[in-house]
Formats: sequence, structure tokens, C-alpha cells
Amino acid sequence: MRLRVVVAAALAVALGAMAATAGASSGRAQANKLTVWLQVDAQSGWPDVVAAANQQFQQQNPGWTVDVQYQNWGDHLQKFDATIAGNDTPDVIEMGNTEMTAYMASGAFADLTGSKGEFQNSGTWLAGLAKSGMYGGKLYGVPYYAGSRVVTYRSDLFKKAGITSSPTSIAQLTADLAKVANMEKGVKGFTPMYLAGTDWYSALDWVFDYGGSIATTHAHKWVGTLDSPQSIAGLTAYKNFFDTVAQKSAATLDEANPAPYTVYSQGLTAAILGPAWFSCCTGTKYKNVTAQFVMPSHTAGKPIPGFLGGSDLAVPAQSGQKAQAVQWISDFTNTSNEQSLQAKGNIPNATNLLANTVNARAAARSWFVPQAKHWVDVENGNILRTMLAQILTGKLSVAQAASTASANIAYTLNQS
Amino acid sequence: MATAAGTTTKWSRQRPLSMRRLGRGAVPYALVAPVVVVMGAILGYPLYSLVRLSLDRYGLFELIQHKGVYIGLKNFGSVLHDSVFWHTLVRTIVFAAANVGLTMVIGTLIALLLVQISTWVRLLVTAGLVLVWSMPPVVAVQVWNWMTNVQNGVLNYVLTELHFGNYFQHNWYTSPFSQLSMVTTLIVWGALPFVVITVYAALSQVPRELVEAAEIDGARSWRVFKDVTVPVITPVLLILTSLSILWDFGVFTQPYLLIGQPHITTGNYLMGIYLFEQGYVSANFGRGAAISILMLVIVAALSVVYVRRMIRIGEVT
Amino acid sequence: MNRRAARRTGWNAVGLLVFVVAVFPVFWMVSTAFKTDDQINALTPTWFPTHPTLRHFRDALDKPYFWADVKNSIIVVVFTVGIAMVLAFLAAVALSKYRFTGRKLFIILVIGVQMLPGAGLIIPLYVVLARFHEVNTLTGVILVYLTGALPFSVWTLRGFIIGIPKELEEAAMVDGSTRFGAFTRILLPLVAPGLVATSVFAFITSWNEYIFARVLLNDGSKQTITVWLSYFLGTSRQTDWGALMAASTLTAIPVVIFFLLIQRRIAFGLTAGAVRG
Repeated sequence: MRLRVVVAAALAVALGAMAATAGASSGRAQANKLTVWLQVDAQSGWPDVVAAANQQFQQQNPGWTVDVQYQNWGDHLQKFDATIAGNDTPDVIEMGNTEMTAYMASGAFADLTGSKGEFQNSGTWLAGLAKSGMYGGKLYGVPYYAGSRVVTYRSDLFKKAGITSSPTSIAQLTADLAKVANMEKGVKGFTPMYLAGTDWYSALDWVFDYGGSIATTHAHKWVGTLDSPQSIAGLTAYKNFFDTVAQKSAATLDEANPAPYTVYSQGLTAAILGPAWFSCCTGTKYKNVTAQFVMPSHTAGKPIPGFLGGSDLAVPAQSGQKAQAVQWISDFTNTSNEQSLQAKGNIPNATNLLANTVNARAAARSWFVPQAKHWVDVENGNILRTMLAQILTGKLSVAQAASTASANIAYTLNQS
Repeated sequence: MATAAGTTTKWSRQRPLSMRRLGRGAVPYALVAPVVVVMGAILGYPLYSLVRLSLDRYGLFELIQHKGVYIGLKNFGSVLHDSVFWHTLVRTIVFAAANVGLTMVIGTLIALLLVQISTWVRLLVTAGLVLVWSMPPVVAVQVWNWMTNVQNGVLNYVLTELHFGNYFQHNWYTSPFSQLSMVTTLIVWGALPFVVITVYAALSQVPRELVEAAEIDGARSWRVFKDVTVPVITPVLLILTSLSILWDFGVFTQPYLLIGQPHITTGNYLMGIYLFEQGYVSANFGRGAAISILMLVIVAALSVVYVRRMIRIGEVT
Repeated sequence: MNRRAARRTGWNAVGLLVFVVAVFPVFWMVSTAFKTDDQINALTPTWFPTHPTLRHFRDALDKPYFWADVKNSIIVVVFTVGIAMVLAFLAAVALSKYRFTGRKLFIILVIGVQMLPGAGLIIPLYVVLARFHEVNTLTGVILVYLTGALPFSVWTLRGFIIGIPKELEEAAMVDGSTRFGAFTRILLPLVAPGLVATSVFAFITSWNEYIFARVLLNDGSKQTITVWLSYFLGTSRQTDWGALMAASTLTAIPVVIFFLLIQRRIAFGLTAGAVRG
């Protein structure tokens, strides 16, 4: 009859549970609490910066607590939408700079134009990043940090191949990589430079390098421009570069799986193109033979225009504590915190803070996505990735793939 | 506990007449009430608002205003006129059929095998299945990802070593077909434990004497199987199949995470992903609600057999 | 060796093959968790971690809130399963022992709820829970999980109760014992295997659920273990396979323990319920 005891106990627990749950529901509307949503990168990368900001905020606002809740890139917007519906938004939210426009256009964020002076270095904000937080001439997003893309490479292999200086043009880089490839012929699976074929953040560098673009407005309508002669020249150049130096089987891969630095740490490539923090993860074996240079343009002596990725901080319109939210943002993005972010391999939010890093030099020429309400749909629909996969696998010609993608983009951006 | 004690008043069928009948007539309602109340309280308003939402234009702007714009059946019209919807529907039905079919066939075969093998092997296999069952899908997806990764996935290595061809840096996720096939392996693998253990449980109900008697009679094992075993396990198979249809038709987590957002396109949508992408990701909540309702109708239609059977066996005998 | 034994050996071999194929992914996860980074990255896989390291487990456990989130998961699961069993048991008694008007409707409700596309209800559910301040609380998650666990449990338990011979119940009544006594002494022990089998299913589904927990819970200290695990993937930065596999292993351990505790009852329980399903 042990069983009976077990079952009786289970029933008791369950009933007790019901009583407990009924009583335990806690009210939420807590006074003096600021809720902040940051991406998980801050949790793993710079928790000290977050702590410093919280401490400063609490000194200025005695009795207040800051509840920092970490979010994933994959689903934070869906979560944010749910909180909007439930009138339960955080007071501060970190947004990817390409995600801003849709929300600014719909009135999701508070207008911070009047508080701009409260943010340190707001006079010298990085122009590219600051633009992503502006809509209709008003400020909604405070620049948080940015990242550019650089080449992380094996200095030992380059040296062994007799290369003594960083390449200053794509042609020279191609030639250098050919030397390395020739030297490493015997290594199974070796590719001179690893590029994830559908990594549009990198691939479109070529489009902008050749004077092309993604889309422009004409008479209040968006026009796709990936099929312009300049864009096609850029895409063709990318394809040629990819075919010459990269791994064929990576034509349909994305930059997350496998991560380029994984291939690098396996010793299977001499160079990767991506965010400067890639140097973090190149493996213990290659730590001392890893260096970075700015990805050169096809025009000698210039850097290639790089995608300026980054984050903004915004205050949801439904927040009941906007003044405190602004103050927390101001604490979080002050000079010393931004310098700490720079030390972690990021680009700080203002030009006067820029140190002479590869990262910062690469940011000198940058491009950004069209600031359209529906740009997010272009990204989520993977229109650019589909186009790149078609081009690199040879399924469609560059012109065909580009014109399909261009039409799709125009259609998506012009939705009501 | 009062209700629970009350249930023991009388297990037998209701008898007509007398005032007591009224009192007893309330018993089943009292017993069912808690479930109905809980489900009603939690799902009632959401269901109502789902229907309301499906009749509204409801995007990000409306979400922030907390007020949709009534547009009648336009959401349904636009979904039904969307060729992506129909392609997705066909793909999902084929996909679900393949997954359910494989799950049921392999599951039943393994259950039959369990009857044939020595006890220690059976214990081993059962323990293995329990291990598999205890893996959350979120975890299983990562393990699959890891085993099939292009660079050094163990699957490529094993296939190459076994001389099935050169799978060095083979990419298993190039076309919609190969992507969905990989998802199928993941789903079938994860669904097998429940099916095998349930079918095996049913098989162990097959009277041993009957089987042995038939064998002594010199009946072919196939006949024994057909006349003795199959009738016993058929109801179980039917219910498992129906439940699998429900689960596989709306599946989201495994395909979305295994194929990966960067590779989700209209060319490999399944209904669950179509709903997520068109309703949530593009912040078109009215359309998403319409898709949800259509999915509900389609699943109901697909499982009409199941529902009818459930109602039939639900009769008190 | 006679033919029968030979056949048995053959089937045993097939059984072992099934075991190896089924378990391999689990093995690979655990094995990877113990390997060094170099072994993980190598082109030629190492089958067994020759120099096992606990570093990945340490990394995983260093991620904040592991223990808090395990505790949350256990609370959510215990309450969901407990409440679901009690409520479902009552409804199952009604379904299996009484005829009443509205029975069919109730069965359709139970089946219909299982057909709802969960994803479609995320925002409406959030709105309701937010109105009652049950967002970011475990209570809200438990309530949502109940709607998933109840229908299946009602149906499965019905199969167990219907199988109890009427004579037994009547004997209990005649016995002169009190109603409650009859209930606990006769009925519960008979239904216990059914309760165990049903709670296994409810346990697994609630423990494994991710999407609703993700949307409804915000504070790191209030999340469930599957949400905790998702933070290994949500960053735009590196995926650390070793730590991810270690974390995944840790996530699966409580379920394995639960199975070990009740394993003797599973087969029997499923048997009875399934056949009469």
C-alpha cells in the first residue's frame, strides 16, 4: 500500500499547489523599478558596463532598482510586440539598427529629441549609427555601439608565403591568397579565405564598392536598384572573388553555421571576413599568429565600404518612467562606458572616442540598409540570401538573380 | 476534496425518478466543471480575440494603438488567394504524411521487435528510448545541428568512412527537400519513444496462450499476427496516428531551428512557419489570426476520423 | 544452436542496432560535452573523450541562473502535473461513469483544444495574462501549460477508470467503509498506474516547452531551463559547442532522474491506458 501513500501525497501536493498559486500571484506594477531589455551579448560580453551604469543610476535615483532582462536576437521583437499588446513594455529596449525604422514609423518609441543634450558626446555621434535612430527628423534611438567588418588572418601563413604588407586592393588580396593556397595545397579541406556565401552583410560590400545600392526612393516609392549596372558589376566581382578564393560548398551557407572563426580555428582557412571581435575565437593554437587588416576596395588604397551594424537604445512610448529611462540610457552610454565597449572590440558611438583600431579604420567607409518601414521584411524574407545563393551556385545568372531580388525588394518595401 | 469524495456516491448508471436523481444528475457536471472552467478561463478570451483579430487589419501601428481596423473577411481572402499558402499547405500535408507514416511504421516495427528479443536487449532498447524521450526538442535540434554540420559533422565522417561515397564537407541543407528530410529524421527520432512504448504496451496485452495455441495449430505466424495481434493493437495505432497528425501538421520548433532563420524562405515553409512568419515576424497580426483559424479548420478536417472515433469510444458502455 | 535460438540471436542483433542508432545522438551530446575544444574542432572526430574535461560544464554552470531556472522548471512541472492530474481525474470519472447531456460537447472541447495552433494564441494569451498581472510569473506559465496537459490527461485517465470492474467499486461500498475510504482504498490504487503514465506525458511536455515560457517570462531568475538553454544560441557572437552540449546534458538530467524514479510503473501504466484508449 506504499502506492496509496504516494498517490495521496501527490494529491495533497497538487491541492496545496493550487492554493499556493492562487495566493502567490504578485502584482507587477512596481514603483521605482526600471525595466531594461538588453541583448544577451551584453550579458556575456560586458556585464561590468551594465553594472557600472546601474550603479550610477541608483546613485542618482536612490531607492530605484534596475531590472535588466536579457533577450535573444532571434525572438526579441516578437516578445516586444507581445508586451506592447499587453501594455507591459520595458522602459528601455535595445534594438538592432536595421530593426528601428518599422517601430519608429508606427509610433512605438518616445521622441527623445528634447533630451539629446543629456547624452554625452551626442554632438559627435557616429553619423551612420545616429541616422538609424532618426525618423522624420526626430530622435528615437540613442546610438549604443557599432561594429564593422574586417579581415582576420593568419599572419604566419601570409609571412611564409612571402607577403610582407597588408593588401591594399582586392586584386592584391586575391594574389596574396593565391600564394597561400599554393603553399597549403596539401591540407585537406583548406580554403584560402572562408566566406559564407549568403552572408549579405559582407557580400553587399562589393555592391557599394562599385557604386551600387539596394534601393532608393523615387516619387515617394521605393525602387529596387540591385539590378543597376553598378550593383551588377559589384555582384559579379563578388562572385569572381568567391569563386577564386572561397570554399565552393559554402555557397549556400550563412555566417552563423558554421561560424567563420570555427573554420579558422580548425586551421582550414587563412583569412575570414567579419566583425572585428572574430579575433576572440580563433582557437588557442592560432592566438599568436592572428592579425587583422581592413578589407580593401577594388580601388587601390581605399577600404571597401563595410556594413555598419550596431544597436540603438530606445524608450517605448508606453513606458511610464521616461525621464528615468532617458537617464539610464545616458548613464549607460557615457564616455567611460563607451570606452569600455571599445576595449571589448566594439566601435563606440561617437567619433571623438574612436581609437585608431582596425575596426575604426574600417568604419571610415560604410553602408547601411534602406530606411524603410518594411526593410525588416526584406531581411526576414531572406531575399538577399536567396539571391546570393542563386548567383554563387550558378543557378541563375547575376543579372537574372539581381533583377528578381530587386523586384521582390521593391514590392516588399512598397507594401502599405 | 469534497467533490472528490462526492464522486463515489454511485458509480453505476443514473436511474430515473425521485428528487435524488436531480442531485445526482448534477454530479457529472460538477466533476467536469473544474476542467471546463480552467480551460474556458484561460482560452476563452484568447479564442474570442483571435476571431476578432482575424477580421481586422492589425499591424504594428494598430498594435500600439490597441485598436484594429475592421476589414471583414479580407484577411481570409488574401490568404486564400496567396499561392504561397496553397504551396505551403500541400507541402505540409506531404511532410506530415511522411513523418506520421515513418513514425508509425518504424515505431510499430521496433515494438514488434521488442517482443522477439531477449529481456536484456529489450531493457537496453527501452532504456535508450527513454533517454531519447528525455531530450527537449530545443536540445535535440542543437545536437542534430552539431552532428550534421558541414565542416566536421560526424554524419559526414561516418558515411565517408563506411564508403557510402565522399561526404567530406557535404551540406545537408541545400534544397527544400533535403532540409525537410533532415527535419523528418529529427522529428521521427524524437517521436519514436512514445510510439514504441505505447505500441509495445498494447502488444503485451495480446494473450500469449492465443498465440501459442495458434502456433501449435500450425498456423503460419503471419496469420497469427493478422488474426490475433492486429485487432488488439489497431485502436492504439489509430489513436497514435491521429495524435501524430495533430502534432506534425503544426510543427514549428524543429523545422524553424534546424533549417535556421537565414534559410527559411517561401520555398520551404511549413504551415507553422508560414503562420509565424506572416503573422508575427511581419507584424501582420490580423493575417496571422486568419491563418491560425484556417489551420484549425484544416486540422479538424484532417482528423475527422479521429474525432468521430473518439466520440464513439467515449460512449459509456 | 537450434533454429529458434539462431533467430533469437538475429533479432537481438537487430535490437542492438536499433539501440545504437537511437542512442547515438544522446551519446554524441554527452561525449562532446567532455571533450576539449581541440577535439571538438578536429576534422576527424574523437569517439570517446580521451582527456575528459569538466570545463564546459563549469562554463555552463557559470551562466547565471542555472539553479534558479531548474528550480522554476521543477515548480512549473510539479504544479502543472499535480493540478492537471486532480482536475483531469475528476473529469475522467464523469466521462467514464456517467451519461449526461453535453458529454459529446465536452469530448469535442477536449479534442478541439489539442488542435489549436499554439503559435496563433501567443499574443492573445499574453494580453489576458498581462491584464491579470500574470506575465513574468510562473503562475501564468502553469496556467498555459494546463491547457496543454488537461485534454490529453482527461482522455488517458478515462481509459484507466473505465477499466475498473464495477464489482470492485460495489464491493467497496458494501464493505461498509465510508465513501472517502472506498475512494482512497479501492479506486486510487487501481488508477495509480494510470496517473503515473499520464503524468509522464504531462511532465515531459511541460518540461520541454519553450515558446510560451520564452514569451511569458522575462527575468533571468524567473525563467525555465529551456529558456536558460536558449541563451547559448541567442547571441550574435560565438556558439560554444562544448558549453552548449554540456548545458544540454544538464537540461536532460532531471528528466532522466524522473524516469528512473518511476520507470517500473511506466510500462504497466501505459499498457492499461493505451489499450483501452
